[in-house]
This record gives sequence, C-alpha cells and structure tokens, in this order.
Amino acid sequence: MKRNILTVVVGAVLIVIFALLLFVFQVRQSEVAVVTTFGKPTAHPYTEPGAYFKWPWPIQKVYKFDQRVQNFEDKFSENLTADNNNLLTSVYVGWKISDAKSFFPKFAGGSVPAAQRMLESMLRSAKSAVVGRHTLAEFVNADPKELQFDEIENEIEQSVQAQLQTNSCGIELEFLGFKKIGLPEGVTQSVFARMTSERQVLISRAQYEGEAEAQKIKSAADRQAAEVVNNAVADATRIRGEGEAEAAKVLPVFQQNPELANFLLRIDALQQTLNQRSTLIFDERTPPFDLFTGIPTSAPSQSH
Amino acid sequence: MERNIQKNGLVNLVAAVVIFIATFVLTSYVRSLAGQSASIFLGLAALVAFASWFQMRLEENERLEKLELDELARAKGGSALFDAKESEVFPARRAREQFEKFFVPGFAVLLLLLEAGGAWLLWRWIAKATTVIAPDRAMPALSLFAIFALLLFLFGRFSVTMARLENHRLLRPSASFILLGAYICFATALGIAGVQAEFPKADLYVAKGLCALLGLMAAELLVALLLEIYRPRVKGKISRPIYDSRFAGLLGQPESLFTTAAQTIDYQFGFNVSETWFFQLVKKNLIVLLLAQFAVLIFSTCVVFVDAGEQAVLERFGKPVVGGVLTPGAHLKLPWPADRVYQYRTEQIQTFDVGYAPDAQSENAGTILWSVGHAKEDNFLVGNREPVTIKDENADTNDTLKAPPVSLITVSIPVQFQINDVMAWAYNNTDPANLLQDLATRAVVHYLAGVDLNDVMSQARLEAAQTLRDQIQAAADAHRLGVKILFVGLQDIHPPVKVAGDYEKVVGAEQTKLAKILDARADAIRTNALAGALAFTTTNIASATRQRLEVQALARAALFTNQIPAFAAAPSVYRQRAYFQTFAAATANSRKYILLVTNTDDVVIFDLEDKIREDLLNLNVPSSPNNQSP
Repeated sequence: MKRNILTVVVGAVLIVIFALLLFVFQVRQSEVAVVTTFGKPTAHPYTEPGAYFKWPWPIQKVYKFDQRVQNFEDKFSENLTADNNNLLTSVYVGWKISDAKSFFPKFAGGSVPAAQRMLESMLRSAKSAVVGRHTLAEFVNADPKELQFDEIENEIEQSVQAQLQTNSCGIELEFLGFKKIGLPEGVTQSVFARMTSERQVLISRAQYEGEAEAQKIKSAADRQAAEVVNNAVADATRIRGEGEAEAAKVLPVFQQNPELANFLLRIDALQQTLNQRSTLIFDERTPPFDLFTGIPTSAPSQSH
Repeated sequence: MERNIQKNGLVNLVAAVVIFIATFVLTSYVRSLAGQSASIFLGLAALVAFASWFQMRLEENERLEKLELDELARAKGGSALFDAKESEVFPARRAREQFEKFFVPGFAVLLLLLEAGGAWLLWRWIAKATTVIAPDRAMPALSLFAIFALLLFLFGRFSVTMARLENHRLLRPSASFILLGAYICFATALGIAGVQAEFPKADLYVAKGLCALLGLMAAELLVALLLEIYRPRVKGKISRPIYDSRFAGLLGQPESLFTTAAQTIDYQFGFNVSETWFFQLVKKNLIVLLLAQFAVLIFSTCVVFVDAGEQAVLERFGKPVVGGVLTPGAHLKLPWPADRVYQYRTEQIQTFDVGYAPDAQSENAGTILWSVGHAKEDNFLVGNREPVTIKDENADTNDTLKAPPVSLITVSIPVQFQINDVMAWAYNNTDPANLLQDLATRAVVHYLAGVDLNDVMSQARLEAAQTLRDQIQAAADAHRLGVKILFVGLQDIHPPVKVAGDYEKVVGAEQTKLAKILDARADAIRTNALAGALAFTTTNIASATRQRLEVQALARAALFTNQIPAFAAAPSVYRQRAYFQTFAAATANSRKYILLVTNTDDVVIFDLEDKIREDLLNLNVPSSPNNQSP
C-alpha cells in the first residue's frame, strides 16, 4: 500500500511537471516573447520576465527572442577610398530587437540569422558609400587632426540607422565600430616594398654618414698632427738658430789669425767633401803626387 | 508450422529490403539527415533478415534429411548406407554445421564493421552536412515515414510474438531488427515534424541519436563476439546466433527488459542466474526504483553549488530574484524548471589576445625574433609621420611609388579582465566576451591608425599600453559590460615578419657606422700621438744640434787658440802638414786616378758610370794568411 502511495505521489509530480511544460512558458529577463494562436500573433509581446499561461501546441506557439544587444562582425571587404586606394574594412555591429511584434513577421518566424543577413547587406552598402567619400589619410594618419576615424564610423552608423527606420523592422542599431582595416594582398606587398626601400635609405644613410664622419675625424687628426709637427719644426729651427748664434760668439777667436782660420776651414771643407765615396783624378802636379815627377822612370822608358 | 516460420523469415527479408530501398530513395529526395541514418539501419536489418532466413533454410533441409533417413532406415533396416561416412550420409547437417562454424562468425564480424564504420562515417557526415529539409517536401516525407513505421511495426510485432511463443531463435534477430526499424522510422517522422514545427535542429538531433545508437549496437556486437569465445559450451544446448542483437531486441520490446537480461546472463554463465533473489527483487520493484530515481533527480535541482571564483544569477520563472546573485558555496532553490541558475566566472581573471593567435609550436621556442613568425599575427595599419621620400631615395620601382602612405605593424596584446558586475555581464549583451574582444580590437586599430610607426615602436610604447587600457575600459563601461580591465600588455610590437629583417639591417648599419667612427677616432688618436712624438723628436734633435754647435764652437776656438803658436812658428810646414794629414785621411777611401803622362796628345777616357751588376772582377778576395808577405 505504501509503495502504491509513493508511486502515485511521484507519478502526480511528474504529471504536474509535464502539465507545466505544456501550459506554461517562461520569459527570461533577457527575453521577449511573441505568442501566436493558430499562427496569428497576440496583441502585445511579453517583455517582462515571469511565467505565463499558454495553450499547448498546436493551438498556441511561443516565439522567444533575445532582447539583449547582439553583435556580429561583417566580412572583411574591399572598397575604394576617395583617393583611389583599395581599403579592406571589417565592422562589428551591436543591434537589438526593439519591437518584437514588428520583428517577428518580417523575418520568417523571427529568424535572427535572417535579420543579421539583412543588417549585413545594409551595412555593406553603407560602408561602401562612406568609405568612398573619405581618403586613406582620414582612416590612417599620424596627425590626429587629420584622422577622422570616429566621424567615419558615425557616418556608417547613421546611414544604417536611417535604412532601418525606413524599413521599420523592429531592429535598433546600438553601436558600430571598425574591427579591422587593412590593404589587399597586392597593395600590402607594395607597402612592404616601400617599407623595405625606406630601410634601405636609412641603411645607406648610416653607411655613408659613418664613412663621412670617419673621414672627417681622420682629416681633423691629420691636420692636428701636421700642426703639431710644423710647430715642432719651427721650434727646432729656432733652437738651431739659437745654437748658431751661440756658436758664432766664438768667431772673434778665429779673427786672431784669419789666414790660418781660412786654411783650416778649407781643409775641413775638403775633408768633408771627400768623406763620401768619390773618384778622384789627379795629375802629377798635385801634391803629394808631384813626388812621381822626381822619381826616375824604368828602363824601357829610359830607352825611349 | 516450420514452413510458416521460414515464410515469416522470407516476408521479413522482403519487407526489410523494400522499405530500405524506399527510405533510401525518399531521404535522397527529402534530404533528411535522420532519414539517411534510418536507411542505414534498415539496410542492416535486410542483411540480418537474409542471414537468418538462410540459416532457417539450412535447418529445414537438415530436418527433412533426417526425416528421409529415418524413413529409409525403418523400411530397409540395416544397410550399407549407414556404414558410409557421416558427411556423406548427412550432407544437409554438414552444410548447416559448416555454416554456423564459419559463416555466422564471419557475418557477425562483417556486421560489426558495417555498424562501427557506418556510425563513424555517419557522425562525420552529420557534423559537416548543411542540408536542410525543403518545407514543401516535409509533409510527404512525414506521411511516408509514418506508413513505413506502421508496416514495419506490424511485421515486426507479429514476428516477435511468433518467435517468443514458439521459441524460434532464428526468427528473433530479423524480428527485433524490423521492430527497431519501425521505431526508427517513427523517430525520423518525429524529427521531420519537429522541423515543420519550427524546430529546425530536430532532424539533426534525431540523426545524431541514431548515429549514437548505431555505435552502441556495434559496441554490443563486439562484446558479444568477445564473450562468445569464452562462453561454456553445454552439450545439446542450441547456440544463439551471434548476430542476434540483444540491444535491438530490448529496444524493439522494452517490456522484455528483464527477459532479455535474464536470458543474456543465463546464456553467458551457463546456469539460471535470473532465478536468484536479488534479480527477482530488482525485477519486482523496478518501476518504484525508476520513479524514486527520477524524484531524486528533480530534488537534486533544489541545491546549487557555486564554485570558488564564480558567481551565479538565480532566476525564478525567468525573473532575476532580488539579491539573487549567489556567491561561492551551497544554496537552496526551487526545483527545476521554476528556478534556474546561470553561473559566471567573476573573480577569475580571464584573458583574450588582440592581434595574434598563440601558436603552441612556436611558443615553445626559446627565442622570439622579429624576423621569425612566433604566432599567427595580424597586420595593422599604422600612420607614417615622416616617410622617406621614395622619389628622392629610391625611384626605380613603380610598385613602390604606388604604395599608399601608410605602414604595417604587428602587435601582440593580451588583455586581462574580470567581471565586476555579473548582472550587467549577463543581461546587457548576448555575447559579452566577444563584444569585449571587438571593443579591444577596435581600440587597438583606432590607436594605431593615429600614431606614427616609429613613435609607437619606441618612445610612445610605454604610454600606449596605458592609453589602450583606458580606452578599452571606457568602451566597456559605455556598453555596460560590467567588467574591469586589469591589464593590457603591449608585449610584442614590431614590423611584419617580411620586412623585419630590413629593420634589423638598419640597426646593423647604425652599428657599422658607429664602428667606422670609432675606428677613425682610434686612427686620430694614433696620428696625434705620433705627431706629438715626432714634434718632440724634432725639437730634441734641434736642441742637441744647438748644444753640439755651441760645444763644437767652443772646442774649435780652443783648438784654434792652440794652433796659432804652431802656425806662427812654421807657417809653411804647418800648412803642408795639415794639408797632407787631411788629404791622406780624406782620400783614403776614394778611388783615385793619377795621370802621370805629360806633353802628349793622348786622350784618356774614363768610364765613370756605376756598374749595374757587379762582376767577379770587382769582388774583393780576402788574402790568405799564407800568401801574406812576411
């Protein structure tokens, strides 16, 4: 008997749970629900969280939508800027369902992917138009005054917002921003080539600046060395002159016998002249070879 | 009666083949994933039905053979016929034995391969499949699958009942498979109905379930094959076909759970385990046990455990409970589905990366170089304040001239954050983590677009991290994400790998420049030092000369003073003496030619040219000591 009661209680609990699942639906804080009765939406969507009654399927059907901000990123697509540069951009977008009743019938039972597809096509169109109105320097510029990054984002956002308001899809654009900007592969290679060329310029500059600087240093050193040596030579000349002057002080001594002094100077000069390797040709009159003239010649000579 | 069983087997075979072909064609037309899976089951059912029907025929032939031989034996008594070999006398029995010995295990292995391979291929195909059921084809497919389910159910139920009542073991495999096929067709119809009722993934989920079921059947068959090796053979006990899936039988007849389990255990152990008290107790209270287990499951949802570092949001009928942020620990709540809890890692520091995707292989490298890729890096556009004028410096390539006035850079920026407002994190955005990453990436793109390449790589680098952190925090606050940005690290910022080598070469060139300047300075020092030394030498020589001049002048004066008396005493002799002394000394080493011929007209020619090459006649031969004159 006890076992039967337990079985009945547990069975009853299960039945209650299944009944709740069939007749009650919950709307979360983050959700909004649209209930259809035989396919026709009820007057007001359920925007407040809580538990609500419904008739089981197929009489009533509940469509729940997330009313939080949903975000997606569009494709990294290529557009032409005002100064004919190809620019790749990717934009992230935050949007939310602002009017579930309008949203529900427009996207095949409230299909969020379908809504995102529509938003993406709107976004791509707006992005192409706005990118074409701006130069590349307004997207990327080291000068903050020239950069119009925020303004471009605002232009795209306003353009998409305007299209959404025109279509009244029950969607509201919350925010929009560039996630990626880049260049096509071919242009990227050109930028790499230019960056390499810039580095080559810097390499050449460093190389030749180094050589020039080295040459300057060397020539300055040479000049400085020459100055030092020249000064030294001048000093030496001066010193030698002082020596000459000092030596000249004894000349009056030689004036006591100028004949002897001159004779001594001459033989000194003769000695110094013949000091080097030299060839001398004398005749018999040159002393001491004049002695040869006083010596009798040999027999054959005599006979001659 | 035996004839009827064989007919039942044939009917099962025909039904399985026809419905297999029909489902295959139908699912190709409807593009239902569940339908494709169901057709695989029905194909397997056809194979099993064929094997069991063939085995029935062999047993029937054996039975007829035995009857005929019994008849002959009774008519003729002992005969030479019975002296022959057994294989010659009982060919049908021999054929049946050979079939059970070789074909049945082989067929079971084939079935295992088909089931396992089918499950694996089906799972891979389902994961990649993008097909969806066309709305206009859903209703006809739904109806046809319902009809197939009904037909298979009728055939299967009849066969199962026949097999159970008359204990026909060979009818059971095909009956179980066909009944299982009926339920599978019904599940497929439900999946298609789910798609029609705006549950687009219902078909996919049914397909995945069927795929898992196929895998389980393969596992069961593998276990059965392994157990068959160790099963004790009891003489006279008829063996069960290995391809008879107990799992299929259980699914086809859930009410026979205990019968199937008991048969399995008894068959495997060789005695009646199912008659023990424990088995009987479980059998009697099964419903109560299942209900109690379900009740425990429901009540287990009344307790929630929040782990350390986490917070949870408690919702009651979808509405957040006031003060319903649950901190780490155990908490009570109403059972599911009234109360639901959503847990978030709040205290835990979470990280994502901007600009790169870590690469496990290159992360193990001990050295990180600009010129070697160390992660999957993105290129960011960056401003170029003072670009080198290409026209002036390098105007030889057209491509270079066309390059836009921007540069590229790669950055690796890890961002660490913490959830500080779990309600904001949970309820303001569907995917807050992804949004935060978008905001951080946008901040980096924006920042780099407005700075100079060289600046951001050098002096602006320090302030860049702080600026980015502030910007990301501001963006997160503006979008009410409920996070605190803890750290933004500019851990790696460098030119793209393709041009990084050229940047390194510039550094090399700068070093070479410095080396040249230092070399020149070294040369200058040497030159100046030598010049100083030369100057010192020159002045010293001059000083020595001065000193020599002075001293010599004094010495000569002294000498002259002493020579004057000698000269005065004998002027001509002194002069001659002095002359000859000087002459002898001065001409000692000179070559001398003395012309002694006078008053002649001879012309004497001297060749005073220096000889370029010495000859032997010029050699001075040292005189031998022996040749010296005494």
